[in-house]
Amino acid sequence: MTAELRPNLIDSTEYDYDLAVIGGGPGGYVSAICGVRKGLRTVLIERDALGGTCLNRGCIPTKSFHYDTRLFRSAALTPVIRGREYLTLDVNQMVERKASVVNTLVSGLTALVNSRGVEVVQGEGVLESPGRIRVKRPDGSVVAVKVKHIILATGSKPYVPPFIGIDGKLVQTTDEILDDPGFPNKIAIIGGGVIGMEMAAIFLNAGTEVTLIEMLPDILASEDKDIREEMKRQLELRKAGIFLNATVKDLSIQNSQAKVTFQTKGDGNLKTTLADKVLVATGRAPVLNGIDISSLGLETDGPFIKVNRRLETNLPGVYAIGDLIGGIMLAHKASAEAETAVENILGADKGIDSHLIPRCIWGLLEIGAVGMSEEEAVQAGREIKTGRFPYAMNGAAHAMGHVEGLVKVVGDAGTGEILGVHILGAHATDLISEAVSVMAMEGAVEDLYAAIKPHPTLSEGVMEAAMDWNRLGIHTPKR
Amino acid sequence: MATEVVIPMLGITVEKGQIVEWLKDEGDAVEKGESIFVVEADKVTTEVESPASGVLAKILLPAGEPVPVLSVVAIITEPGETLAPQYTTSPKPKTEEAVVETSPQDAPAGLKPPAIGSESETIRIVPAARKLALEKGVDLANVSPTGPEGVITFRDIESASDSRPPQAGEAGTKASTLARRKAEAAGVSLEGIEGTGIRGRIMRGDVDQALRREGPEMQATPSAADVDTNFGRIILMDGMRKTIARRLSSSAFTAPHVTFYADIHMDPLLSYRESILDAFQDRYGLRPSINDFLIKAVALTIREFPLLNGAIQEDEIHILPNINVGLAVALADGLVVPAITDADNNGLLEIVRQRSDLVERALKGRLTMAEMERGTFTISSLAQYEITFFTSILNPPQSGILSVGKTRDELALVDGEVKVRHIASMGLAVDHRIIDGVVAAEFMRDLKKKLETPAFTFLHT
Repeated sequence: MTAELRPNLIDSTEYDYDLAVIGGGPGGYVSAICGVRKGLRTVLIERDALGGTCLNRGCIPTKSFHYDTRLFRSAALTPVIRGREYLTLDVNQMVERKASVVNTLVSGLTALVNSRGVEVVQGEGVLESPGRIRVKRPDGSVVAVKVKHIILATGSKPYVPPFIGIDGKLVQTTDEILDDPGFPNKIAIIGGGVIGMEMAAIFLNAGTEVTLIEMLPDILASEDKDIREEMKRQLELRKAGIFLNATVKDLSIQNSQAKVTFQTKGDGNLKTTLADKVLVATGRAPVLNGIDISSLGLETDGPFIKVNRRLETNLPGVYAIGDLIGGIMLAHKASAEAETAVENILGADKGIDSHLIPRCIWGLLEIGAVGMSEEEAVQAGREIKTGRFPYAMNGAAHAMGHVEGLVKVVGDAGTGEILGVHILGAHATDLISEAVSVMAMEGAVEDLYAAIKPHPTLSEGVMEAAMDWNRLGIHTPKR
Repeated sequence: MATEVVIPMLGITVEKGQIVEWLKDEGDAVEKGESIFVVEADKVTTEVESPASGVLAKILLPAGEPVPVLSVVAIITEPGETLAPQYTTSPKPKTEEAVVETSPQDAPAGLKPPAIGSESETIRIVPAARKLALEKGVDLANVSPTGPEGVITFRDIESASDSRPPQAGEAGTKASTLARRKAEAAGVSLEGIEGTGIRGRIMRGDVDQALRREGPEMQATPSAADVDTNFGRIILMDGMRKTIARRLSSSAFTAPHVTFYADIHMDPLLSYRESILDAFQDRYGLRPSINDFLIKAVALTIREFPLLNGAIQEDEIHILPNINVGLAVALADGLVVPAITDADNNGLLEIVRQRSDLVERALKGRLTMAEMERGTFTISSLAQYEITFFTSILNPPQSGILSVGKTRDELALVDGEVKVRHIASMGLAVDHRIIDGVVAAEFMRDLKKKLETPAFTFLHT
C-alpha cells in the first residue's frame, strides 16, 4: 500500500501536493478519494492499516462478534433445532472470523483507494506547520512534504481514567477485548454508553454475566427516554446488573479477579463487584500523535481539535474531521465531514447538519435513531406530536421471532417536520436510513407513509408509526 | 375564425385583473374597438375593447373573479361561425372546467407573456387553475394535465399544490414538503425562489432566505385588528405597492435628483382665491382649491420651460406635446397620481372639474390606467401637514416634481413695519441629467412670480 513520495523540493515554491490527509480511517480515506475526484493531487498518510478504528478496532469487528454471539444465542434458544443443549461458542473461530472479515475489508479498501489514484504513504504524519508535513516512515526515514491543504483525520482511541491500569488481560479496552474476548463467567463493564451497550450485548449473548457501571443517571444518555427504558428493561430481563449514577473509585486485581469499587450518588455508599474481566468503556479521546497542539498553536475544544462550521481549524488551510473534533464519534459522521471539508477546500462554504447524523447502536436490541428525542424537542420549545408502533404488531417481526421493540416518530405538530425518529428492535439500524433520507429531503411525517411499503417487512413499522402520528394507523388499536 | 378575448396587460406590474361588468351579453353583435367589458386591476378600472367584429359567442369568465392578465375571458366568432368544440363540448358547466387559456406563445401579438414562471412550451390551462397556480406557487411545468387535449384543470393544480406529499406517478415536485409548507404558512409563492437542493430543489432554507430578502414590510397602516400581530410578521406587497417600490427605486437610482427650494408669498393667492371663491361656487358649483391654482400656474410655467415636460428615452429627450399635470393622491394603502390634461390650455374651471373628479374617483379606486399614466409633471402637496418643506422622487419618465409644504406664518418687514406673511416653501426636484440648475432656478423664479401675482396669472382663465 505504499507509494514513493515525490522528491522533497526544498525551497521550491511548488507544492508537492494539493491535499495531504493524515489518517486513513473513514474520515481520511474518504477525504482522499474526494480530493482526487475533484482533481486535487492528493496524498494519504497512514501509520497503520487503512480503515482506521472503524474497520480494525471498532464498527466492523464488534459487528462480527455481535452477529456471531447473536447466532449462538438464537440457535441455543430456538425450539426448532435439535441438540442445541450441546452448542458451544468457539471463541478462537470467532476471533479468526473477525480477523478474516477485517483483512478482507482492509485489503479491499486498499485496492479501492489505489484504484482511485490516491497516493498512500505509510508512516506517521507530523504536522509541522500549515502547508508542511513530515512523514516518519517505518524504516526510520523522514520525508518532508509541502502541501497546499491539510485534512487532519487521526481519529480517536479509548479513553482510560488515570487511576485505571489496563493490563490487556483482566482489564481491557475495546482495543484488546476484540482480540481476546475470552467470554469468562462474569464481566464488569465501566460505561453505559454506546460501546458499553454493544459489548454488554455480545457478552450477554455469549452467556457471560454482565454488570454495567454508569456514571450518568441513565444508560445511553442521549437517546429518547422510551428507547432507554425499553433497552434497560431488556437488560434487566437478561439479568444484567445495572448501576447508575455510579462513579468508579478503584480497580484492583485480587486472585486473578478484578475488584471494582464504585460509589453511587444516592446513598453515597461504596460498593464493590468482582469480575473475571473488566472492560473500560469510558469514552474515547482524540489521537494527537504528530499534532503538537501547543507548538502549532492549534485551538482546542476540550480535548478535541476546534474547527469552525467549515471544519477548518484556526490554522489556515488546515482542516480537521471525524473523531478528532469530537461530537458524534461515528464513522459515517467522519465520512460526511470528509466530503464537506474537501468541498470547502475548493471554495464551498458548507457545514454538517448534525441533526441529520443517524445514530446506530447494536445492543441487545438494535437502536437506529436520528434527530431529537421527545424530551429534546419539548425542551427546544417545539409543539410536537408523537407516533409509535410496536414491533409486536408487525407481521414480519413475528415471522422473524423478533417482536421486541418499537418505532417512535417525533414531529412538529404544525408543519409536520420530522424532528426525530427512534427505532428499537431488529434491523433498526437499517430501518433508520429511510427516516434519514426523508428528513434530509425535508419531507414531513406524512411523507413517511406516502409511499407503499412492502409486506411483510419491518419497514411497515416506520410507516405505521408515522401514520399513528396523525392518528391514522391501520394496525394499531384505536386511541 | 374565432377570436379569443383576453384580459389585457394592464400595466407592467399588474398580474391579475377582475372583470367588474360585462357590457355585452352572449350572442350580442360586437364591433372591433367597441367596449365589451370593464376590468379592474390594482384599484384601477378600465374598459376593454373588442379585438374583433363579430358575435360575442361565449363569455368564459363571469364578473367578479380575479384572473391573471392574458386569461381568455370570451370568444368572438364571425357571424354564422360555430364555436370550436373545446369551448362548447365540455361536459361540465363549471367555468373552470370549460375555459381554456392558452400559453403566452398563443397570446395576441404585442402582448408580453405574463410573469408567472417558466413555461417554455405551450401550456393550456383553465384560468381558475392558472390563478390557483399563481397563488400556490405551482410551477406549471411540473403539473400533469388531466383535462381534454392536455389542458391543466383546477384539480390538477390542487393536486400539485396539495400539502399532501407527492404520490407515486405524480410529477416530481421541485420543492421539499417543508419548504412548501413554510411558503404556504408565510403566504409566499415558491415561484422565483432559487432552489439550492439537489437538482434545484427548493429547500426550507431557500424559502427562509427569500423571506429575509423581502425584508421589512413597506406598508405601515395597521388596522385596529392588526395591532396584536403588527410586528414579527410578513406583509405581502400588493400590486400597487410593488409598482411604487419598483418605480421609486428605479427613479431614485437612475435619475440624479436635485431639489431647488423657493419661499412663496401666499397672501396674494390666498386673497385672490378668497375673492373669487363664492362667485365661482355660485356659478359652477365647484370650489377651486389652492392646488388648482398651483396646477395652472405650474402648467403655464412649464410652457416657458419645455424641458420640464421632457422625458428621457435612451439618448433622446422627448418634449411631450401636452402638459398634463399629475397630482399625488394618498390612499389608505398607497398613492396614485392622476393627471389633469392640457393644464396650460384648459381654463381654471376645467382644471377644477378634472381635479375634483379625479381625486374623488382616486379615493374610490375608480381611476383608469390612462388617467394615471398620462402625467408629464407631478405636484405633491403635504400642505395639510406640519411639513415645512420636503423633497420628492421623480415619477419616471417625468423630469420634474414639485413638493409643496404647508403655508406658515412668518414675520416680514414691510415698509418699516413688522407684518405677518403667509409663506409656503416649495421644492422643485428635477432630473439633473437634462435640467440644469439655472433652468430649474429660473423655473422656480417664474413660478414664484406667477403665484405671487395671481390676478395677472389667472387673467385669462
